[in-house]
Amino acid sequence: MPKVTIDNEVLEFDGQHKLLQLCLDRGQELPHFCYHPAMSVPANCRQCLVKVGMPKVDRATREPVLDEDGNPVIQYFPKLQTSCSLDVTDGMVVHTHRTDELVSRAQRDNLELLLINHPLDCPICDQAGHCPLQNQAYKYGPEGSRFEFRKVKKPKAVPLGPRVMLDGERCINCTRCVRFTDEISKSHQLTIIGRGVRNYPMTPPGMEFDDPYSMNVIDICPVGALTSIDFRFKARAWEVSKTPSITATNAKGSNCFYWVKDNRIVNVTARENADVNGFWLPDEDRLNTDRFNDNRPDGPKVRMGGQLVDASWDEAYDAAGALLRGVTGKDVLFIGSAHASVEDNYLLTRLAAHLNADAPVYVPHVVAGADDDWLVTDDKTPNAAGCERLGIHPADPAVLKSRLASGDVKVVYVMDDDPVGAGVLAANDLDDVAVILHHSHTTNTTLASADVALPSAMIVETIGTFVNTDGHAQRVRPAKAIKGVNRSLMMEMGKSRLDEHATPFDRWSVEDNKVSCQPGWEALPAIAGRVSLDLKFKGPKQVMAQVAADHSAFEGATYEAMGLSGVRLVESGAVV
Amino acid sequence: MDLHEPEVAKLPPRNPEPQVDPDALVFSAEEKERIAGYQKRYPTAEGAIMRALWLAQEKFGFLPPEVIRLVADELGVPYASAYGVATFYTQYYKEKVGRFVLDVCTCFSCQLCGGVDMLHHLESKLGVKAGETTADGMFTIQGVECLGACGSAPMMQVTNGPYIYNLTEDKLDELIEAMRAGSMPGFTSVTLPQDEDEMGGNRRTDIDEVAVYQTPPVAREID
Repeated sequence: MPKVTIDNEVLEFDGQHKLLQLCLDRGQELPHFCYHPAMSVPANCRQCLVKVGMPKVDRATREPVLDEDGNPVIQYFPKLQTSCSLDVTDGMVVHTHRTDELVSRAQRDNLELLLINHPLDCPICDQAGHCPLQNQAYKYGPEGSRFEFRKVKKPKAVPLGPRVMLDGERCINCTRCVRFTDEISKSHQLTIIGRGVRNYPMTPPGMEFDDPYSMNVIDICPVGALTSIDFRFKARAWEVSKTPSITATNAKGSNCFYWVKDNRIVNVTARENADVNGFWLPDEDRLNTDRFNDNRPDGPKVRMGGQLVDASWDEAYDAAGALLRGVTGKDVLFIGSAHASVEDNYLLTRLAAHLNADAPVYVPHVVAGADDDWLVTDDKTPNAAGCERLGIHPADPAVLKSRLASGDVKVVYVMDDDPVGAGVLAANDLDDVAVILHHSHTTNTTLASADVALPSAMIVETIGTFVNTDGHAQRVRPAKAIKGVNRSLMMEMGKSRLDEHATPFDRWSVEDNKVSCQPGWEALPAIAGRVSLDLKFKGPKQVMAQVAADHSAFEGATYEAMGLSGVRLVESGAVV
Repeated sequence: MDLHEPEVAKLPPRNPEPQVDPDALVFSAEEKERIAGYQKRYPTAEGAIMRALWLAQEKFGFLPPEVIRLVADELGVPYASAYGVATFYTQYYKEKVGRFVLDVCTCFSCQLCGGVDMLHHLESKLGVKAGETTADGMFTIQGVECLGACGSAPMMQVTNGPYIYNLTEDKLDELIEAMRAGSMPGFTSVTLPQDEDEMGGNRRTDIDEVAVYQTPPVAREID
């Protein structure tokens, strides 16, 4: 097998590699800005320089030249090489900044050059704290600047489009954003204009940077030149916790980080997952973060004397149990949800089966024509595939209406959806029946017809499994805390929250911005208990283990196996 | 031109009004053929951007965004790429320029030999600042970086064409008069000292006469 010596360490490798990527794959950091594994390699930031040589070969004999000690003599390239563009070859000897003074000096001097015209904006820059330029200047850069002249002035705070703001002075012209629009999104909306010290990325006149994937350039910008118009100046990087999870705006389930400050979702950024979304996230996944924060219900409500009045959780569960007790078969209609996790839908099917009712249906949310063959799908729910695999199928409005019109139905059980708002049911269809509703927003129009309203945790507050349109099962983690104590959620939080959010037992615990709601896997067993069905599990993990064991369509989808990147489920052709 | 002012990269207008009559904004069949010919010389259409822009500049006089878009569409390359190329090179005029564009070199060698003095002379003579166009639309003057004729400094270039070497104020005055009368200066061949013995100092076979210059003047401002 070919061998390469990196920092005096011999390493075997296989296949074609660029040196920088090989080092990064081994967890060996090399400073760099312009290189991005998903895009072409321009080698224009000059930050990843290394010293590279090959064993010297005698031209006449083709034998390696040895020194007095019998070691091969290494002939180094006359100049340092950019490791990002260098193909690793057999016998190559590489010295990085760790073992070569010349390399570390080159990196230091290169940073000094990059920083010559870079403004001292860090205290007000959104990128500060997670800025590759800041980090690398700190680790590899010079002590200070020797540049004592006036810096070049470039346009600042220029909206390139509706979502991306440019600060020209901060730009180091790595061209990652331009290459993204040229090679990845193919919208060709950006270019570097001007030359020398005066250049910066810009749209050509008359063109707006309105690419539906435009905000990815904010993620890949190695400086604060491109920032989010939506998020800028809202939080500093060190004030937020970033929870790895998936987005819920469509059926792709793109991997993301939810940024949480003061228990509010403030930003969403892309998380790498080669099986799902690569490095990217569509803009629609990143915007409207306030839907997780605002118009959220505050505790359960029960209808008494025609009014929905506040109740305790136990009172609400009792009321729901009372409505379900005695109903059976055709008396009750279960509506599951493609917004809810596999666990919650599974528990609902168990409850429906216990009452001899038909299998639940789910309300489809499809926007025809939205699909772009990439990360946006027609289906605007995160778990339709998971519902299908559980045997939950899209609701047929005509069938639902005729069943309600027939007068058989006494109770409609709706989980995490708004069938009235979605147009599947009309409000007056529900006039004569009791409605148990798990809702996540007070704007839910079915709420007006509800007899028991149970606030449910959204995807950012719960633990659960979602199956995307390609059959990739992924689990979500709680990014923000809910009111009350839940051991499963707190255990997960403890692992994922960097900002050390207080437990309710701590004196510094703040209840602000916490929603009084319950995850489905907490509420459903409580209600099932009231109709003599034991659905108690230790937690969602055990629910999923049960699902994976019972349903062949979920084979292997345990929490351990899914980890952070999910598992690809087997094709489930059998489930229609 | 003030060398002590900070460099400022200006933001070009994001949504400018079109400056070329939409009816005139087309390439003739012959021009299209020429552009297709340029395209054949390169492996990708991007390669032909520069030559096609040049053709468009010769046709329209300058390259406003709508002309750059026309070129990009003709080549089938992204508008943004063509715009990036056009803004990179100062020889592409993004704004309407005068009939004669006087690019006075103010880079090191010319600056030492009086390049900035020559620019100041033009500024005061024509009544406009560097980067501006005279009201009659005759002259645009600007300071430019090295044009590669340091041996005959100070020098200038007229409308991306002929070089005028060894500038003096009198020489500039004469040139301006001639240009006002409508005559474009011709090309001059300059001999390097080491070539003087060869072909009578003339290395060009297409030109009969050659000007041989004396030691260039030295800038006033340096003293």
